[in-house]
Amino acid sequence: MEAGDRSLREASDSSQTFLMKMAEPTGNHSDLFQQTSFQSIFGGASDDSEEIETDADSNLRKPHSFGDTATTPAKLVNENVAPFLVKHIPEQYAPLGPRRSGKPDDLSLASSKFCYRHRPDVKCRRQADEPSMDKLQKELETLPPSDQQGIAHVWSLFSAAPAKHRKLILQGIMAQCCFPQLSFVSATVRDLIRIDFLTALPPEISFKILCYLDTTSLCKAAQVSRRWRALADDDVVWHRMCEQHIHRKCKKCGWGLPLLERKRLREAKREIEMRATNWDVRSPSPGGDESVESASPLPEDSSSLKRKAGPSEETAVVKRHCPSVEPQPPEDDNYFKTRYRPWKEVYKDRFKVGSNWKYGRCSTKVFKGHTNGVMCLQFEDNILATGSYDATIKIWDTETGEELRTLRGHASGIRCLQFDDTKLISGSMDRCLKVWNWRTGECISTYTGHRGGVIGLHFDATILASASVDKTVKIWNFEDKSTFLLRGHTDWVNAVRVDTRSRTVFSASDDCTVRLWDLDSKTCIRTFHGHVGQVQQVIPLPREFEFEDHDAECDNDNVSTISGDTEPASLQAALGLESNAAQTSVFGPAFDNGRPAPPRYIVTSALDSTIRLWETTTGRCLRTFFGHLEGVWALGADTLRIVSGAEDRMVKIWDPRTGKCESTFTGHSGPVTCIGLGDSRFATGSEDCEVRMYSFRS
Amino acid sequence: MSSSNPTLVFMSSDGVEITVDRDVAERSLLIKNMLEDLGETGEAIPIPNVNEAVLKKVIEWCAHHKNDPASTGDDDDSRRKTTDIDEWDQKFMQVDQEMLFEIILAANYLDIKGLLDVGCKTVANMIKGKSPEEIRKTFNIQNDFTPEEEDQIRRENEWAEE
Repeated sequence: MEAGDRSLREASDSSQTFLMKMAEPTGNHSDLFQQTSFQSIFGGASDDSEEIETDADSNLRKPHSFGDTATTPAKLVNENVAPFLVKHIPEQYAPLGPRRSGKPDDLSLASSKFCYRHRPDVKCRRQADEPSMDKLQKELETLPPSDQQGIAHVWSLFSAAPAKHRKLILQGIMAQCCFPQLSFVSATVRDLIRIDFLTALPPEISFKILCYLDTTSLCKAAQVSRRWRALADDDVVWHRMCEQHIHRKCKKCGWGLPLLERKRLREAKREIEMRATNWDVRSPSPGGDESVESASPLPEDSSSLKRKAGPSEETAVVKRHCPSVEPQPPEDDNYFKTRYRPWKEVYKDRFKVGSNWKYGRCSTKVFKGHTNGVMCLQFEDNILATGSYDATIKIWDTETGEELRTLRGHASGIRCLQFDDTKLISGSMDRCLKVWNWRTGECISTYTGHRGGVIGLHFDATILASASVDKTVKIWNFEDKSTFLLRGHTDWVNAVRVDTRSRTVFSASDDCTVRLWDLDSKTCIRTFHGHVGQVQQVIPLPREFEFEDHDAECDNDNVSTISGDTEPASLQAALGLESNAAQTSVFGPAFDNGRPAPPRYIVTSALDSTIRLWETTTGRCLRTFFGHLEGVWALGADTLRIVSGAEDRMVKIWDPRTGKCESTFTGHSGPVTCIGLGDSRFATGSEDCEVRMYSFRS
Repeated sequence: MSSSNPTLVFMSSDGVEITVDRDVAERSLLIKNMLEDLGETGEAIPIPNVNEAVLKKVIEWCAHHKNDPASTGDDDDSRRKTTDIDEWDQKFMQVDQEMLFEIILAANYLDIKGLLDVGCKTVANMIKGKSPEEIRKTFNIQNDFTPEEEDQIRRENEWAEE
């Protein structure tokens, strides 16, 4: 380097006056830093340049013939320029060529000398732009030959200079620029420094960038270039999108998609992480690229793929910064065999369903057969079960709309039911619960115990809870056959929900309250006050549901009382110190030792025409949903939406976070009494004896 | 952790020595792990992939963020991902694309997660909301699709337009 410095000093001394003289035109030529441009302007070899090149690596002849030095009129310049070029050109461009490219040592040596932009084996990411080159050429030709020669020297000196020297040269030139010239430089530079980040960065960083994009932007990115498409369509990106959006509302865009097999999403996670780190342009996502490749009639396509398969120019940069990238993971073949659909396709399907929900695009099916009001329903896959005041339960096929069978046995109207794979349990105004084999229609057993009609029930795992006109909730343990009552409500209990994980039960009552019960101590641990009408439904939201605290409306009129417990622990919870719940739970000492807390959020509906969202840790009502004209009998909720049905015959869909009513459905000619909610559809039952199913599948 | 010396010296790729507070330097997991494994030698630590200008920029970021809580798990990160960048970082990232590019590479190499995140978000924000042609213009990218392909790919991606 010392020698180099000296020669630079000499060179710059000798050309000092020249630089001064040429200060103006030099401002224009920032485009010329590429050696190829010198060829076009000063093409043609000469004796002198021959001399230079014999010193240099012979591989370099073609791209770097600085033929101009031969005809220099000024000997001084010749003496100083030539040695500079002789010294630095080999350093600059020598190390790489087909002959040596096999040796990794050379590559690392070379890369320590060049920035990625000046590495000769990497096609410069900034392409020479031909129109401005032409313009430059023409302007140069208007000058007298001696000036042309001078300018050529400046350029060739710069071109041959190592990075450090270049910086000095530039500093010298800039120091001489007046403001208009600097302004020109700054405008030009801004335009020149444009980098194809996704191509130049290691793939795992490119994926990281893409993972910050929204759906629309990702689909735009896929249309930019081949390389962008390969990255932006990849499973790595879309698996992440699926994770972020499916069955939860994305924080980024407020957009949530219906659930698919969550298991598959989780299982694929590790595989996807591997893929991100080992990604290679040669292993495109299964779906995206293949489809174009096969659909494209152009033979050119496959050849471009082959080209990429070689030691391509694009990947060279990537490899330098990311030496750990393996050429191709050997298990890649298996990868393709086990995959069935690209994640972008999965996402696209869910996106369409989500978009149908959003814009209310759906198909409707009506199930007719009951002879009195339909009071309860549930559907899973293609099975729909409905219970009616006509004292029957009907099983329907949702695909065909066909009535499969009718379960008869209750002596009075059916008010509640629930089924799983093996059984269906129903509750009736006849004060009994019945367990059915819904596949055969056989009644397996009848439970008596309530002193009034059974109007709500819910079972989970081994616990069944029933709610009754007799103001109690009864807990039935399938395992040890034990039962007990939860007393506290002062009017009919309309709905119950068991949470097995925390061993708690929620209940909603005509006494205008909702209560939370501890199944271990069999006591009420929290009462939610706020509704001014009879509470008909209570639904805990899935634990994945997230609510931004600042979204809450500050309602002072909604307070809960913490039964038995004197500790005002709700403050702690309000501060979001959820982790502390393990030590001192806001739900009391029974939850202190790592016992899971009850679901954090619940939604309730009441005959005061409102729906409310509550935080159980604090007992606060976070939001009230206004819009129904009469009492809200029916409710469905998941992480994405709340669906409600009311005396006013309307069904409304709400966004739980914003409280906005997204759409309203009419169609029933009587009050809507029950709702079932799925990922891509919902069903409503009404006193008009009918059940309507709305499907949002594309 | 035996050393009581609160500063370290970095040597940039272009041979410039820069003195850094140790707690600032340890925002880089690479440096932190290195110090833990090897202890402190008292010699300048060469940072071969990062030049002076970029290294100074990176240190500036680390100094401003030296009291940030350690990054949380990756899972949490993916759930709460947004492209919002705090004001200071936004200003910090108002650099030309070359500097941005080098900052990202340096953050990756030095393993400074927070800085890498901000860098990637900045690039993502440059892509967001743009048409393919606008993206090409922003990053000087050659459209290497044939018109037929371009048309087909546009149709394939139409579903995402709202």
